[in-house]
Amino acid sequence: MKTKSRKPAVLTWVIVAAVYAAVFAAEQILPPSSMLFTVLKKGATYALVAVSMNLLNGFTGIFSLGQAGFMLIGAYVYGIFTIPVESRPVVYQYYEGGLIQFTVPVAVALILAGLAAAFFALLIGLPVLRLKSDYLAIATLGFAEIIRVIVQWDPMGPITNGANMLRMFPSFNDFNIRDAEGNVTLYLSTLVPFLIAGICIGLIVLLLHSGYGRALKSIRDDEIAAEAMGINLAHHKRLAFCISSFFAGIGGAMLAMYQTTVQAKFFTTAMTYEILLIVVIGGVGSVTGSVFSSFLFVAASEWWLRFLDEKQMIGNFEVPLLRNGFRLVVFSIIIMVVVLFFRKGIMGTRELPDLFRRKRKEAAK
Amino acid sequence: MSEMEIKTVPDMETDGETVLKLEHLTMQFGGVIAVNDFSMHIDRGEIVALIGPNGAGKTTAFNCVTSVYQPTSGHIYFHGKEIGGEKMHVTPDRITEQGIARTFQNIRLFSGMTVFDNIMTAMHLRRKSGLLTQVLHLNAEEEKKNREKAWKLLETVGLTDVAEEMATSLPYGKQRLLEIARALATEPTLLLLDEPAAGMNPQETNELGQFIVRIKNEFNLTVFMIEHHMNLVMDISDRIYVLDFGKPIANGTPEEVQQNPVVIAAYLGVDEE
Amino acid sequence: MWDTIFPYLLSGISVGGQYALIAIGYTMVYGILRLINFAHGDVFMVAGIIMVYIAASGLPVWISVLLVLIITALVGFVIERVAYKPLRTAPRMSVMISAIGVSYTLQNLVLYITGGLNKQYPAIPVISDSVKIGSATTKVVTIVTPVLVILLVVGLVMLINRTKIGMAMRAVSKDFETAQLMGIKINSVISTTFVIGSFLAGVGSVLYFTNYPTVIQTSGAMPGLKAFVAAVFGGIGSIPGAVIGAFIIGIMENLIKGLDVILFKAGAISRPLGLAIFSDAFTFALLIIILVVKPTGLFGEKTTDKV
Repeated sequence: MKTKSRKPAVLTWVIVAAVYAAVFAAEQILPPSSMLFTVLKKGATYALVAVSMNLLNGFTGIFSLGQAGFMLIGAYVYGIFTIPVESRPVVYQYYEGGLIQFTVPVAVALILAGLAAAFFALLIGLPVLRLKSDYLAIATLGFAEIIRVIVQWDPMGPITNGANMLRMFPSFNDFNIRDAEGNVTLYLSTLVPFLIAGICIGLIVLLLHSGYGRALKSIRDDEIAAEAMGINLAHHKRLAFCISSFFAGIGGAMLAMYQTTVQAKFFTTAMTYEILLIVVIGGVGSVTGSVFSSFLFVAASEWWLRFLDEKQMIGNFEVPLLRNGFRLVVFSIIIMVVVLFFRKGIMGTRELPDLFRRKRKEAAK
Repeated sequence: MSEMEIKTVPDMETDGETVLKLEHLTMQFGGVIAVNDFSMHIDRGEIVALIGPNGAGKTTAFNCVTSVYQPTSGHIYFHGKEIGGEKMHVTPDRITEQGIARTFQNIRLFSGMTVFDNIMTAMHLRRKSGLLTQVLHLNAEEEKKNREKAWKLLETVGLTDVAEEMATSLPYGKQRLLEIARALATEPTLLLLDEPAAGMNPQETNELGQFIVRIKNEFNLTVFMIEHHMNLVMDISDRIYVLDFGKPIANGTPEEVQQNPVVIAAYLGVDEE
Repeated sequence: MWDTIFPYLLSGISVGGQYALIAIGYTMVYGILRLINFAHGDVFMVAGIIMVYIAASGLPVWISVLLVLIITALVGFVIERVAYKPLRTAPRMSVMISAIGVSYTLQNLVLYITGGLNKQYPAIPVISDSVKIGSATTKVVTIVTPVLVILLVVGLVMLINRTKIGMAMRAVSKDFETAQLMGIKINSVISTTFVIGSFLAGVGSVLYFTNYPTVIQTSGAMPGLKAFVAAVFGGIGSIPGAVIGAFIIGIMENLIKGLDVILFKAGAISRPLGLAIFSDAFTFALLIIILVVKPTGLFGEKTTDKV
């Protein structure tokens, strides 16, 4: 047996470490109000959610559209268990301070968010995962809609605050370390979401590189052959569904931290579509692609293409077409071009280390 | 010969240790009876061929044995234990788990994976370590052993030089060999081969025959195969069953079957190779 | 009791008919391309927006309606040619993603044009007028809808069963490849399907927005999804199935909207439970149940995969 070249792996680690170092440094140097941090925080959140969706759609071949629903569960669980007890009367003003009168540490709440989403995935997965591709898509989409309604139902108010928003829970900014006067001594509000997303995505990558990862890919490639090789379809699909939802739940909690508020009505089908399109642009079946395109998507929509939404003057000439909503039109067109003409997206099924290998053969075993 | 005139021939007696036994297997799709009252058995260490004109129900019989289809009636026993048949609802992976592996007529390799990973995937079934152990890569010992085993299997079929190629980029004949290697990776005692020589030239077919005998001995297998290449069938099979319109019309040693007028009529009657 | 239920039943039948007109588009496209046309609900919404702008130009109403129907049919045609035809041989997931992309594009285009504001749908003479039936006051459209739906469905079924293009449609939906080999012009059959589907969605939009007279870029999403559920419920590929499914969903949904009132008047509950918000969720619960219990729907055909 030949041994694998270690160079691509080492290079990958160097790049990842450099990115984290750069994020940390930038945060200490640049003003916290810089657009860059908005993009980085939201980008990290979306990266995790996109990778979790890719685990299903790209690596297991399960076309699920329930992502927004699982994010919603994660966001609510996080919010419900972390709003400080003294703030609850204000937040739950219509429900006498709410039912739950304790909090758990942020890290615990994050894991709970994931577990709750995974638990619902288990429940919904039992009936739904037996369905064929497009039926499964519409059933998971329906599930997300049901969850959204149940959360907003008035009798659920003491727990979910009904249709009102949850707020005052710890957000990314609370990760900054402050001195006694409240001045920030060390900025961590961007590094921490990077760490959370990094650990979660790392775990997904490890999963994909394990025997289970191969089993999932075999289901994607050929269900009948996979089954004939002794892979239990129901078990492995459920596993992938629960794991994906677990990380979507954590992603939802991160989104809550990013936004500082949570309200069910924002977790719509449109959100799922947006994440799906991110996955497609990055490359269905590439973790690197999903991460990359998340940051690209967020940067373009929150920052680089913002100018398209406002009137622009060049000298005395007013650029035509530019007004509110034009950015999204440009976006849609880019997406359709990718979907129709660049079906492999940015990365296809390649990963970061693959970029340092000239040909598959050279790195044989 | 028309469908109506065909007589069902009962299974023959042998004195070996029965590995697989089908009893009155029938598979009906709507109005079509694809397999009709088929009884047969295979003894340990045998190579048994299932032949018959196209559409005779051979692959359907395979699919019943491997639980891809739920038979309409009849029973399937493996080492004396009922593993399939009417009212037995089992998924194909359970069959593989018990030691029956198969290849497919229309090759079904994992197209998004390398040759090596195709083999590794088939070993998933026999792994002892759990999800968390595997994800955290705490099973280095097992992983190393599996990789060595996979490599050995590739050596057996002579595909080590293409180990890191994408499986579907291989030429046809090599894909068939890879399918066999992949089936072997599930550690079967009974190997089902669905037209292993399809698309091969006479020389390749001849080599394949020797190869099947070799792996049978090396891996201590019993082999059940569907094949159209009569030379291959006559060369390596211990016994042959013949299906026509889903019904078993003959069985016996290659010599017996070759001289059986019913079999000759069935083949001539439908204009076969 | 009846007086309490009747108005809900009435609007249920009306909405059901409107869903039916959308559902036919889903079921026909699925029957032929095996594709959930996620953009179909948005085509319905676009029809509504076009009507708003055409009516604002001051054209007579009947010309406006006619123009809306023609333009909507054209939109369906263009969508198929641009977004689905190039992907004919691509994996199914790619086509589905393309459909989602089209849905996203249509919504964003409308958002851009309208500025994301609710647009008032024009009142259409006669069908916008109020009428009293028994205990309920409603719009004429409520009565017109079921009648029109039945007429259109009869016409459509005749088209499919009696004409050459109808025969081609049936052939293509039975076996895509063989139909192609037999010399049927697949592309024109598919285009016709989209044109008919979009036309009916256009009719549906005129009726629907006369009832709920505001249009915004997201107006098509929910009716679209419900119509899809109706198509699945009835057995996807079956036109009568889709229509019956749509009526059932429309009626159930409206009864749930009124459930608090009905239960309250019946004395079963003493205070409202806020059950009305489940009217949408119910549709999806029904979807999941039907998919689990009988995935082929009420009138669908069973298929087996070949190994």
